[in-house]
Amino acid sequence: MDTKEVTYVGVGRVGDFEERIGRVVRIGGVELAVFRTTGGEFFALENRSPGPRGGTLADGIVSGVVLFDPICDWRIGLRDGAVLAPDTGQVRAYPVRVQDGEVQIGYSAS
Amino acid sequence: MNATTTRQRLVVIGNGMAGINTVEQILKLDPQRYEITVFGSEPYPNYNRIQLSYVLEKSKSIDEIILNSWEWYRENGIDLRTGTTVTRIDTDSRTVHTEDGTVVPYDKVIVATGSKPLMLPIPGADKEGIVGFRDIADCETMLHAAKLYRKAAVIGGGLLGLEAAKGLLKLGMDVTVVHLVEELMERQLDRTASLMLQAELESQGLKFATGRQTAEFLGGQRVTGLRFSDGTTLEAEFVVMAAGIRPNTEVGRASGLTVNRGIVVDDYMRSSAPDVYAVGECGEHRGVCYGLVAPLFEQGAVLAKHLCGVETKPYEGSVVSTQLKISGVDVFSAGEFMDAPDLNVVRMHDEWHRIYKKVLLRGGRIVGGVLVGDGKQAARLQQWIRTGTVMTEEIHAAIMGTAAAEAGNSAADLPDEEIVCGCNGVTKKHIVDAIRDNGLTTVDEIKACTGASRSCGGCRPVVEQILQFTLGDKYDSAAAKKEGICGCTKLTRDEVVAGIQEKGLLTSKEVMHVLGWDNPEGCSKCRPALNYYLGMIWPAEHQDEKDSRFVNERMHANIQKDGTFGVVPRMYGGVTTPEDLRLIADVAVKYNVKLVKVTGGQRLDLLGVSKEDLPKIWEDLGMPSGYAYAKALRTVKTCVGSQFCRFGTKDSMGMGILLEKKFERLDMPAKFKLAVNGCPRNCAESSTKDIGIVGNEGAWEIYVGGNGGIKSRLADLLCKVKTDEELVEIVAAFMQHYRETGKYLERTSDWIERVGLASVTAAVVEDTENRKALAARMETALSQVKEPWKEVLDNPVLRQRLYSEIQVPVGTK
Repeated sequence: MDTKEVTYVGVGRVGDFEERIGRVVRIGGVELAVFRTTGGEFFALENRSPGPRGGTLADGIVSGVVLFDPICDWRIGLRDGAVLAPDTGQVRAYPVRVQDGEVQIGYSAS
Repeated sequence: MNATTTRQRLVVIGNGMAGINTVEQILKLDPQRYEITVFGSEPYPNYNRIQLSYVLEKSKSIDEIILNSWEWYRENGIDLRTGTTVTRIDTDSRTVHTEDGTVVPYDKVIVATGSKPLMLPIPGADKEGIVGFRDIADCETMLHAAKLYRKAAVIGGGLLGLEAAKGLLKLGMDVTVVHLVEELMERQLDRTASLMLQAELESQGLKFATGRQTAEFLGGQRVTGLRFSDGTTLEAEFVVMAAGIRPNTEVGRASGLTVNRGIVVDDYMRSSAPDVYAVGECGEHRGVCYGLVAPLFEQGAVLAKHLCGVETKPYEGSVVSTQLKISGVDVFSAGEFMDAPDLNVVRMHDEWHRIYKKVLLRGGRIVGGVLVGDGKQAARLQQWIRTGTVMTEEIHAAIMGTAAAEAGNSAADLPDEEIVCGCNGVTKKHIVDAIRDNGLTTVDEIKACTGASRSCGGCRPVVEQILQFTLGDKYDSAAAKKEGICGCTKLTRDEVVAGIQEKGLLTSKEVMHVLGWDNPEGCSKCRPALNYYLGMIWPAEHQDEKDSRFVNERMHANIQKDGTFGVVPRMYGGVTTPEDLRLIADVAVKYNVKLVKVTGGQRLDLLGVSKEDLPKIWEDLGMPSGYAYAKALRTVKTCVGSQFCRFGTKDSMGMGILLEKKFERLDMPAKFKLAVNGCPRNCAESSTKDIGIVGNEGAWEIYVGGNGGIKSRLADLLCKVKTDEELVEIVAAFMQHYRETGKYLERTSDWIERVGLASVTAAVVEDTENRKALAARMETALSQVKEPWKEVLDNPVLRQRLYSEIQVPVGTK
């Protein structure tokens, strides 16, 4: 990804997100699903399933750093958005950081 | 830039299993070698054509049989052009030409156009209502026809015809199979096997007109019937021609390739023109055109290696086997199947168990076999036939079941490139490598890792043998075959429940930690299951784990395919008031819902509600949730009963409302439906409910274990009771017994088949002390339930976090 163009925007406080329950965040026209893991890490994926039946990702079941797609049950890595074997596919992942308790998501302006 | 210009152009004509499987194998061997263009006539990505019969009988959706998603083509840089028919290959200018005038140059081209249904040239065959059975469009035509018409005829009593006929029968049509000769599947079965198959299918409701030649289709514009050559007729409003397939060689002929029945290819799938190949059902190899899936994987493997410059053995033909994919009919045939003077036949025919087994030997080697009624040895028999194994006492005993002798493991004899899983194209080598590289020890792990046995499960025994063969002494038979509740644990449902009880585990986290889960936070299968078991065992102590609920149960609404939700308020017993109806109508208008649907459970579904509007709608309605999304009591369907109906002997509405109010909201292993009828006319359909109650003069009859869903089952009579109190107590005891012993997601219909009606009757009817204890535990559980919509409305934090989106305008820092 074109890392140098990334701009971070604040989307809320850490406490606005439940552990292992995704939340929909819209930045401009982009719809993201933001997840907080048991370990307190944050991840953001484009809220669109790569599976054959479509749908969204925010309502999937989170286990460690893996998301189970709520419609087709594929496993998706939260870190990079890659679909795990034996299925294949890719979800766009966005960088997330936490500064002073604020959750910030990086997106490229282009 | 350099890399792309040196890549060779590969054009694949045909987007089906043969072509795409070859492409997949090429990508595995040398992903950078070719720039690939694929043409397909159908508007779909590659799908599993063998499973069309599942789509027809509605046990799978079209999406579920897609093998390669659109995404897959994109990711692999394949230029996919669907809905585009190729007309010819110009072998001089090395270009491929399509119907719409596109011209694409190639360095190599693969013809994989498959086959077409054989449409018999019978007078009247062009009438409306006569179709083949070959692709998704045909399937959709048949599904549509089943809604409009009742009488169907299927011409062809082979594999395809019988699957089509069974599908239409399942869709509620009156189906007659017309077959030219007396025996069904005469190209795979001998007379004995064929007659057994026909008897079994007749008992399932299919009709047969065998030994009949169709001479003419009757009717005007649309078909109304068939006239046979003997002068008799058959009424039919819809006809499926499944008399066989013929290779689709149009492109081959138009391109000047040598074509007999199929496009003639050599042992490396080369056609008569340079750099033009043919694979799958459109080809003819050593005089044989195949119509089954296994050969195309074997051909594809040879072709892919050849095209990637990898050394390969030549393709020398396939031993084909046939397995009928019809529920309740176990029929297998492979290799030679008819008695002949030069063959020795081992035969077993048990008319009582309705089992027929036949193994044919030439010079002591197994060359063919037929199994009817017991297909357990099919996978092994097929291997023995393929490898020409010499018959031994052990094999004889294993097939004929005459002794408990364990036959030797033949996985060692399988060549590495042998396709073990036909549905997913997984080879023996792929499985062996996966076992070695990842230290796998169970069949389930192999399934998760390679996809083998994930679809139809037919190859599971072979996968098991390969596992045993690969692990050697380390193989633990019981552990390998045992199916844990999911891939995270080897423990079964009963072991998990016992562990929770004995060790006093209160949360999923404790369960996973103490019972040694492989995956520290579990998966989408075990998380919801554990949450249910914990709540069932510790009704008072357990805190519901929202993060382990499926989306619908977490949101308390039914998610729809566009991401909106459906809202179904309670309408106890299907009874409402003008005021409530007016309120529902006002709310539907206010929130601009897309559709109002009267559900099968006698209430109203407001469809197309956004997630953020859910709490507002609930607030405006002020009604309790109908739990239309939950593994819990859905509805209690009632008839009008004695309050108004002139036939009614019991107050079915009153009893229905009482039961629904008593048992609503409680978590169950799976969804749970009730019906209460005021008389034996059964207008509320008790026979397909988890509990169906029928009022008689002076008594209630209680039926249990009915199901009208995917696998329908008629309910069994549990008992008759005289008083309303007894009725409520037995219903409570039954539900609690099911809660305590059912597997998560197991409907009562499957549960009763598993545990046996007698054991249920004993536990909830005969043993009155146990009944009372069950009913008491039910009361404890019921005392804990809360109305979920109100809970969300009363909890602003929950409402905020679960239902509202965060909006960030772009440009802010």
